[in-house]
Amino acid sequence: MRAFRREPRLGILVVLLVALMAIFIVVPQVAVIVTPGPSGYVNFFREGPNWLLAARNSLVVMVLSTTTAVALGFCYAYAIVYSQMRWKPFFRLIAILPMLSPPFVVAASYILLFGPRGLITYGVFGTSPNILGLFGLWGVQTIAFFPYAYQLIADVLSRSDPRLEQAARNLGAGPFEVFRTVTLPLARPGLVGAILLVAIYVLEDFGNPALIAGQYTVLPTLAYGLISGFGDLAGAAVVSTILLLFALTLYVTRSRLVGRGSVVTVGGRGSSIPRPPVPRSVTWASFGICLVLAGLIIMVYGVLVLSAFVSAYPFDFSLTLKHFGYVGAHVTSLRNSLTFAVIASVVCSFFAVLLAYTVQRKEWTGRRIVAFLAIAPAAIPGIFFGIGYATAFNQAWLSWLDRGALITISMIAWNIPVGYQAATASLQQIDRSIDEAATSMGASSLQAFRHVLFPILRGAFATGMITAFVRAITTLSVVIFLFTPSTVVTTITIFQLVNDFNWGGATAFTVSVIGMAIAVVILMSRLTGRRVRVEVASV
Amino acid sequence: MFRSSISWRVLGAVCLAIVIGACSSTPGGSGGGATGTISVYSALNESTNNAFIEAFQKAYPNIKVDILPLAAAGELQTRIRTEKSAPKADIFIGGSSEFHDPLGTEGLLVPYQSPNAKDVDAKFKDAAGNWTGWYIGIFGIALNKDRFAKEAAGKAKPTTWDDLLDASYKGKIDVPDPVKTGGGYIFLATQVFRFGGDEAKALDYMKKLNVNVGQYVGTSPQGIELVSQGQFLMGPNWGHDILTAAKKGAPIEFVAPSDTANEVGAISIIKGGPNTEAAKSFVDWVLTKEAGALNVSLSNRLSVRTDVPPAAGAPTLDQVKLVAYDRAWATANKDRLIKAWQAAIGQ
Repeated sequence: MRAFRREPRLGILVVLLVALMAIFIVVPQVAVIVTPGPSGYVNFFREGPNWLLAARNSLVVMVLSTTTAVALGFCYAYAIVYSQMRWKPFFRLIAILPMLSPPFVVAASYILLFGPRGLITYGVFGTSPNILGLFGLWGVQTIAFFPYAYQLIADVLSRSDPRLEQAARNLGAGPFEVFRTVTLPLARPGLVGAILLVAIYVLEDFGNPALIAGQYTVLPTLAYGLISGFGDLAGAAVVSTILLLFALTLYVTRSRLVGRGSVVTVGGRGSSIPRPPVPRSVTWASFGICLVLAGLIIMVYGVLVLSAFVSAYPFDFSLTLKHFGYVGAHVTSLRNSLTFAVIASVVCSFFAVLLAYTVQRKEWTGRRIVAFLAIAPAAIPGIFFGIGYATAFNQAWLSWLDRGALITISMIAWNIPVGYQAATASLQQIDRSIDEAATSMGASSLQAFRHVLFPILRGAFATGMITAFVRAITTLSVVIFLFTPSTVVTTITIFQLVNDFNWGGATAFTVSVIGMAIAVVILMSRLTGRRVRVEVASV
Repeated sequence: MFRSSISWRVLGAVCLAIVIGACSSTPGGSGGGATGTISVYSALNESTNNAFIEAFQKAYPNIKVDILPLAAAGELQTRIRTEKSAPKADIFIGGSSEFHDPLGTEGLLVPYQSPNAKDVDAKFKDAAGNWTGWYIGIFGIALNKDRFAKEAAGKAKPTTWDDLLDASYKGKIDVPDPVKTGGGYIFLATQVFRFGGDEAKALDYMKKLNVNVGQYVGTSPQGIELVSQGQFLMGPNWGHDILTAAKKGAPIEFVAPSDTANEVGAISIIKGGPNTEAAKSFVDWVLTKEAGALNVSLSNRLSVRTDVPPAAGAPTLDQVKLVAYDRAWATANKDRLIKAWQAAIGQ
């Protein structure tokens, strides 16, 4: 606190950050929590749906999917950062795709490929497996969420100092020993961040369980079903609160696991020394794993592209462009999505990095609560984020508030966790002496942040921005209670087309959205991450 | 050495969210009588909405319609609840009356007896006038013709729910999940009513059916989609949606077994909406013969009006044998029945 008296600007900034978090994260969530009222909670636990079963299912999927997704994400990150394999830019781009999964459509593509009459399972192998259920969900969630783990871990790995590994090698350690004693501990902040984030995202995901899990009900599908099937908002709000408690538990567990001061610190800017070469066999294994994953991802998205260009997949394969007529008819929703998501992602990543800096580097009361609030939105199923906003901010006295702005703000608040996690993991790597050097030379804390730390945190900033963008553009559940006739977004359009049995129109629209999003992502990484990319590529 | 203006720039970026486009957008007040703009929350299908609104505007050129399309009545119902302190919509159209009725009970609707509602049978409308039914959806079975011809050659198509228990259908049926979908629960409750309220018999049926069920799906349309693709042979689902999918080229057909159930699609006026007077005109128009016929041609549902013929391939209400479906009982016993079902199938 004394620091604030010395630097009033920092104090004002912290107050502002906390106020914004309180208004846009706490208020809407409290609105959801109080919705059922005491009697609502009593009724739910006395005679409500079988939530214990759904909770157990949620935890099983969470543990399984997090394990595989983080393991895969680590392999992928290691392959990209360390190995000498080819096609790295291609693999880097492919890993973005699973994050770009508009609801329903991509999950449906898995069923077309691997369902009882799937293109691969039945068409190629002649088997009729039932992928709908726990195992299908496990597989789909692994592919869907490994990119988050990859992004966070790669960001941390690429900034670790090659000199440490070089030194270990020079001291006689073998490649595996270097990996175990140097690389892995260096990656730890990224690994822990990835585990927490992936676990929470799996826990709150609705889209994939809705289509893939079948009767394997998890908490978000239970909550969603209570609303869409029965209009039971109170019951659904209780389920949302249970999910929030799970996230709190995860967060506390993580803090216990990491503890304090267990983090390896590194001098911020990497040196020009190249990383010690990894054995050829590792490079080839990396290439193999990446190739298999990329193949799978390409197949899943290939089905979408194919569906978009044929008359009526899978009944009529004559080529046509007619489905793209729907893109022209819904150009407003494309434009809205693009506007909201770009603004949201830029503001969100700035906010997240700044927040991580004030929480990680400054001592002030209540910062641990703020740290939890920064990660909590990940645990709130999108639908309740939207309901919270609709309940809290749809007031007569707030009628001046533009709905597009409100949607954008909800996207910002909902996506803070990724940028925050990325920035936190990076900050834990960077030696405090670096910013202290700046402040002792007379710079204020904020100047040190702006001129010293921010350039180093550019990778985390880019990760936060890209992830926020793709999540904002692919979310249905957050906006479903917020959009108005003039602020329709792409996911609403896709939802409408899918429910109207217009698979061709839905896929044509989805392919257009994905194409547009990839263009934006490439632009963003060019603008923000060029040095990081070049650095990685020159390894 | 350090520029000091930057912290303010960062602050500016953070505040941007609040500032962007904070322009006021006050909806225009009602201009007396049937003029101005109405805001419609529509649970109808994408392909129905546009043509429907266009036809209305031809009939009422003075009223402009802002439509918010969301083919999910439960979500719209929830929206109307969460917006109750400053209602944004005038009309809630589409979705079973079960989604409108509670809103009326909670006082969120304007009771309105349209002059045109005199042509609607009393069993299709709310006595208090909170909502008026205007179309009917019949529950039935979606059947993949190609797979049926290949795998069930010589077999008759199912005409009763018990026909679904045939041992050769093992793993080939998909059912909307009664926990997550309104349609799935109606299917479950239908079994209870079919056995004259004997829950033990109904659950025994569901248990036997469970052997043949390859999948309980999370949304009703997905059940039809999977049968269309041939992932499953058949499955209980909404008749009008089955017909819609069939008309888009899917190799499926709609079979209505005896003792099936129906929904009554409703329209209601939201209390405190921007333009209640014009909303009444909209309700009047929806209850006309023209609107009824248009909806039938667009969505394959039945009209509540006896003077509107059904769509090609769609049975009329007197052609199917409906079970005596007690909506009040079904709603009151939902949680208990679902739990009993979960226990019966060992879930």
